[in-house]
Amino acid sequence: MNPSMRSMRLYLSNKTYVVGVPIITLAAMVVLSVLIALVTGIVVGLPLPAAVEEGFRNNLMSLTALPGFLISMGALAVNRNFAMALAFGSTRRHFWIGTAWGFLATSLVTAATAVLLLALETLTHGWFVHTHTFDVVAMGSGNYPKTFGMTFVLSALSLFLGALFGTVYRAFGTVSTTVTAFAMGIVLIGLVALGVWQRVRVIAFLADWGLWAVVAIVAALVVAVAAASYSANRLATF
Amino acid sequence: MTPSASETSGIRIQQLHKSYGSLEVLTGIDLTLAPGHIYGLLGPNGAGKTTLMSTICNHTFLSSGTILIDGQDPAENAAVLARTCFIHEDQPYNDVFSVAAILKVMPNFYPDWDESLAQRLVSRFRLPVERRARKLSRGQKSAFAIVISLASRAPYTFLDEPYLGLDPTAREIFYEELLSDFGDHPRTIVMSTHLIDEAADLMEEVIVLHEGEIVLQADVDAARSSAFVARGLADEVRAFALDREILSERSLGRILSATIRGEVTPDDERRATATRISLEPVGLQDLIAAIGIHTLTSALTQENR
Repeated sequence: MNPSMRSMRLYLSNKTYVVGVPIITLAAMVVLSVLIALVTGIVVGLPLPAAVEEGFRNNLMSLTALPGFLISMGALAVNRNFAMALAFGSTRRHFWIGTAWGFLATSLVTAATAVLLLALETLTHGWFVHTHTFDVVAMGSGNYPKTFGMTFVLSALSLFLGALFGTVYRAFGTVSTTVTAFAMGIVLIGLVALGVWQRVRVIAFLADWGLWAVVAIVAALVVAVAAASYSANRLATF
Repeated sequence: MTPSASETSGIRIQQLHKSYGSLEVLTGIDLTLAPGHIYGLLGPNGAGKTTLMSTICNHTFLSSGTILIDGQDPAENAAVLARTCFIHEDQPYNDVFSVAAILKVMPNFYPDWDESLAQRLVSRFRLPVERRARKLSRGQKSAFAIVISLASRAPYTFLDEPYLGLDPTAREIFYEELLSDFGDHPRTIVMSTHLIDEAADLMEEVIVLHEGEIVLQADVDAARSSAFVARGLADEVRAFALDREILSERSLGRILSATIRGEVTPDDERRATATRISLEPVGLQDLIAAIGIHTLTSALTQENR
């Protein structure tokens, strides 16, 4: 067996965790949205009137619900699985590559689930109460490829970000992890400042490419964070 | 298939140094481990046993020197490292993995994984397979490490204090299974332990580390005959050992037990009989302790000069 595949199988060995929990989280988002709609409906009636329904299209739950869990999953994978893989005779390189494939598998399943739930949401006209969880502006307003792309890159970014912090912690300790978080905050503020400075071009770029521009930017961040995680992983010790 | 003991060429270490900041843990280790033997890695806490094994397996990085496994540098060498198995005494496991889940992935890492041996050991050690590995008790963690290490059939297997927390019955199971499996599938096993006398029958060769240096490497019988204990009245024992190197002393009232370096000669026997001193073979554990005390005392004496 390819050495990287060993680590990928180690990552995937607890499917409930690496595949099941993201799916359950997405399903929980739907339940929460419906509950919020039901509570809102006490005042405005059900199904929700068109004006209220439009407000639900700005629901950002799909962007905020997943990252927390996925970041912790990425950090845990590179810490504990790393120690296990090394004990079982893996190299750092193959461990990282195998785990990265695992992250992409988790992202793929999460994105496919989001698309499936979007289809059900559309079919049931907002879960029978005209609410919106996946058919939202942030996910491409019901566009299946955009929903898939956005969920995929967001999941991958969360996992690799967790992996970066987990690896820096293992390689350099707690102080370096804090410094990394601080440095990333500075870089992020710098990028925002650059965007504000070049806002005319940025707005034009976003207008031309829409959500795909965001997907591309997040995808670029995934590559950068993954590269940083790989570099730190080469220096990590037991 | 991984290579058998006859197809491996062992481990060669030259001038291995390992430091953590200003603390030098390994100070110029030269060591050759021939394939197909069981080695006991002995020494006091902090001697560098775990660090040595970690460095060989590339779990931590060496500061200088060379390590060769089967003639190749193990650093990031997939083919070489795949022949190693080293479960640390404080091995971290993924928080959500059960014992069963970990055992299920093991054949991916070790092509010669022996599932029936693993199941037999799990049953004999009464390991709760559905429990999360990190929730196992100290003894269960040791037993789990033994299951993985033995069933892996890795040509280079490292056991880090495998007895920790094991009750006498479990230790007996370990001795029995190790010897039985090693007889059928010889490989290189390096085992660090403090229960020296109890494990002495398992080891073919002992390597004694003290403050990052190898102070003794010998087969078990040669190690045992490298010193002896003289017991008798303190003055007479001291007179008997006047021109010999005393490794350690233990007194009880006027009675002194001295561990003396060297073999017992016919002349020693004659002198001992004449002065009512009893000469006894030294236990491996006492010898290792004596070497440790002696090295420490010598270092302190030199420091005070």
